[in-house]
Amino acid sequence: MERGAREEILGRLRKAPRTTVEPRPEMPPLRELSLDREEMVAIFTEKLTAEEGAVYRVGNGGAAVARLTEIAAEEKLERVMVSADEVVAPLDLPRWGEERGITVFTPGDFSDRDSFRDAVFDDVQAGITGADYAVAESGTLAIAHDARQPRLVSLAPVMHIALVPVERMVAVYEQAVEKIYGDGGDIPSQVTFITGPSMTADIQGRPFKGMHGPRRLVVILIG
Amino acid sequence: MIHRGPMKHVSLFIPCLVDLFLPEIGEATARVLRRLGVEPLYHEAQTCCGQPAMNAGYRDQARNAAKHFIDVFGGDDIIVSPSGSCVCMVKHHYPLLLCDEPVWLRRAEEVSERIFELSQYIVDVLGIEDVGASFQGTVTYHESCHILRGLGVSDQPKRLIQKADGATFVPLPFAEMCCGFGGEFAENYHYISEEMVKEKVENYLESGADLLVLCEPGCLLNIGGYLSRNHPEKKALHIASFLAGTERGG
Amino acid sequence: MEIRTTIFNEVAEREIRNPYARLFLKAMPAVIAKRRTVVMGSFPDPVAAQACGQSIRAEVVARLPDLLEQFERNALERGAKILWARDAREACEMVLALAKERDVSYVTKGKSMVTEEMGLNDALADSGIEPFETDLGEFIAQQLRRPPFHIVGPAINVPVEEVRDLFMEKIGMEKPTTDPVELGYAARLFLRDKFHHAALGVTGVNMAVAETGTIINLENEGNIRFNKASPRTQISIMSIEKVVPTMADAMHLIRLLSRNCTGQAISAYVSMDSGPKGAGEIDGPEELFIIIVDNGRSRIYADPVAREALRCIRCGGCLNLCPVYTKIGGYPYGWAYSGPMGQVLTPLLLGLDRTQDLYRACTLCGACREVCPAGVDHPSIFLYYRSKDVEGDRGLRGKRRPWWESRLFGLWGRAAAHSALWNLGVRVARPLVNRYSRGGVISRMGGFFQGWFRSRNLPVMAEETFHERWRRLRDEISAGGPKGEA
Repeated sequence: MERGAREEILGRLRKAPRTTVEPRPEMPPLRELSLDREEMVAIFTEKLTAEEGAVYRVGNGGAAVARLTEIAAEEKLERVMVSADEVVAPLDLPRWGEERGITVFTPGDFSDRDSFRDAVFDDVQAGITGADYAVAESGTLAIAHDARQPRLVSLAPVMHIALVPVERMVAVYEQAVEKIYGDGGDIPSQVTFITGPSMTADIQGRPFKGMHGPRRLVVILIG
Repeated sequence: MIHRGPMKHVSLFIPCLVDLFLPEIGEATARVLRRLGVEPLYHEAQTCCGQPAMNAGYRDQARNAAKHFIDVFGGDDIIVSPSGSCVCMVKHHYPLLLCDEPVWLRRAEEVSERIFELSQYIVDVLGIEDVGASFQGTVTYHESCHILRGLGVSDQPKRLIQKADGATFVPLPFAEMCCGFGGEFAENYHYISEEMVKEKVENYLESGADLLVLCEPGCLLNIGGYLSRNHPEKKALHIASFLAGTERGG
Repeated sequence: MEIRTTIFNEVAEREIRNPYARLFLKAMPAVIAKRRTVVMGSFPDPVAAQACGQSIRAEVVARLPDLLEQFERNALERGAKILWARDAREACEMVLALAKERDVSYVTKGKSMVTEEMGLNDALADSGIEPFETDLGEFIAQQLRRPPFHIVGPAINVPVEEVRDLFMEKIGMEKPTTDPVELGYAARLFLRDKFHHAALGVTGVNMAVAETGTIINLENEGNIRFNKASPRTQISIMSIEKVVPTMADAMHLIRLLSRNCTGQAISAYVSMDSGPKGAGEIDGPEELFIIIVDNGRSRIYADPVAREALRCIRCGGCLNLCPVYTKIGGYPYGWAYSGPMGQVLTPLLLGLDRTQDLYRACTLCGACREVCPAGVDHPSIFLYYRSKDVEGDRGLRGKRRPWWESRLFGLWGRAAAHSALWNLGVRVARPLVNRYSRGGVISRMGGFFQGWFRSRNLPVMAEETFHERWRRLRDEISAGGPKGEA
């Protein structure tokens, strides 16, 4: 019986002799903590580029859209899915798409999860999202998922384009996690750290990108 | 007896493998120490540190050996041994074996403060790196597991080698990789042990060194035994023999 | 998963002669180990960073019941459903029940060692529910019905020709390619379709954070993220020791796990789930079930030495540096866990009596202990198991040693405590040993030590042991004899 298992397991654990907990040893602070904003951007760019992520720096939202336009042209993008998060929403990408003959879907276009799923799996060439934080130490994006930020947008399409205001750059994971989880309020159902495209080397040690997740990752840092 | 002024004394702990198969290493140890102004003492009642029993799981028997060791060496200020694994046995396992007997435990802890591996003793305690050794040629060094990871001794033997007159030190590829002795392992899992010692010897050959030096008698039996069968022209020597200038085929 | 721990030697002897496997074992672990050293250098003090990881895991083991209850409380608050399973059978039954209730015809799975321990795939298949491993290496190993070769690359040793044939037969790949990338993309298409229509996704858990009730998974491919995004139901399975105290602890362990596992600073994806999807979310699981599996661990917990085995975070760092593993690969260890990690855990979960070789086929070199970010002292644990065999310990199912060995060590123990006996023993043994001497060297000894003598000689037992020559030596060097002068 279910209840029985829990009590049995915890009971056995509690019956065992107690051992003392030693305090954590001292550890010097991570180097990244002493970086200023520009240095963090440089490290972030270096780390993510080493993982074959592409990183662009632009001055403002308008420039970000311009960069997006170039990418869309290069990649011959015709159908994309964009999140409705607070970075991307103000850019009004549905209208941007209309002006350029690119079909832009948003999660709100779908009445049920199955039709959304079909679209994001089979019907779009790229997913465009914002990110909650960029973490310099390893060139990592931190994305908190909610109704406006579905999970599949940055996962199912072959290309993921992420837009991140530089104010959201932090040095180390703990800083992102503190801000996301630390409030004591609601915590997101899922948070994803993304560091580069999907990859594997499981066949004979030969590495390649794009095993299940996106083959291409582009980050546009704004500001 | 000729007086040579005040002398340090150390008590020699000669491992069973050395006693039985490689006594020249014990001799070399005594001679090197004497050369450095240290009078070696040897308690004839000594037998074995107990490692073989410990490794095989026979803790009662290992405990017997431990107590005998402590009785034999308990009164010594400093104990020196040409074997890192034996020193590890005393330092790390005696307190474990005797944890339930407070009086023995205290004695074990005292002894474990005073026991040193040979190169550790010469460099760290005596503060000597040049012991007057000489060797014309290139020398490389195998980092035995217990002395490296159990005692943290790695620099000391290499410095002693480098200070030998005429010797040029060359690194051994994968020097820290186990040679495959492991006591019973070498017999019971010989097919794995063989591949490990074969690789160690390949690395020795690749280094181009004229001589391989090491600090562990077990490793010497293993590597030396493989060389003797397969590459008799290449030699391996214990650090004591190297420093004393005595040589015997491995 | 079939248990093959009793045929260790048979499998190891075969694998050690497999040139293909040897090629990988010589190259890959060394590459990861080198990368690990480099990337550990990102810490200002790598030794302190490792010590910190060890301290976290020490706390986990010390506070295990408290942390599990805290995790459960917080996860429940987030809307997760927590199930406790005493053993593999119970855990499998839970998964089957959940799958059947939801009319599931197949399941997509992320790599999870505890599910291999459970034999979940077989249980599902036997019930007519098809399990699809979705990690590329696990997928290949599953299709070939083989245990994992290496924790990071479960099928990395499989020749491309074999993968090609497998894919053409099993997943309808049409083009007979041996290009690893094309093969990978063929698997991707096949599995993508499975993700697309999946109703149930099963994952393991790398860390379960007590502070927030969050489960964390690390991966490079994205298959675990798919399992957490596409299906309506997600089941994540964790063994009890996967809990960690805080999110900050989890971040530090993420760094150590990634560096030790693949030599990366961090894996390509880390996903952290706190309950099922929120209201209004258009993907993610409507129901998140977390199954906490004991399978013998709470019993181990009572043993103060054995319980430290529960520190392990399954990073595989020990495999890459083990001089034995890098000769024989993963297959000989005969179960879900290989290398030093398996040598520590498998005997505890399956019993010492059927895992003898696992902790004896080891030189106690300590390379594993030295690198372990969780602070497992593998050599001490192996010595402990060996002593439990001698004792015939019932709890751990120790297997008593052969009578002649016990007799031998009994004698040895007496001689070790009485030097007169010891020296007598030497005098008796010497002529018996040295009658095989040829030119100062022994190359065989009748039927004894055949393993050693296959490739090695032994020096003769000294005609004058150190014991026997000491007095002469002492006089020689005290009198300032040759080479005795300062």
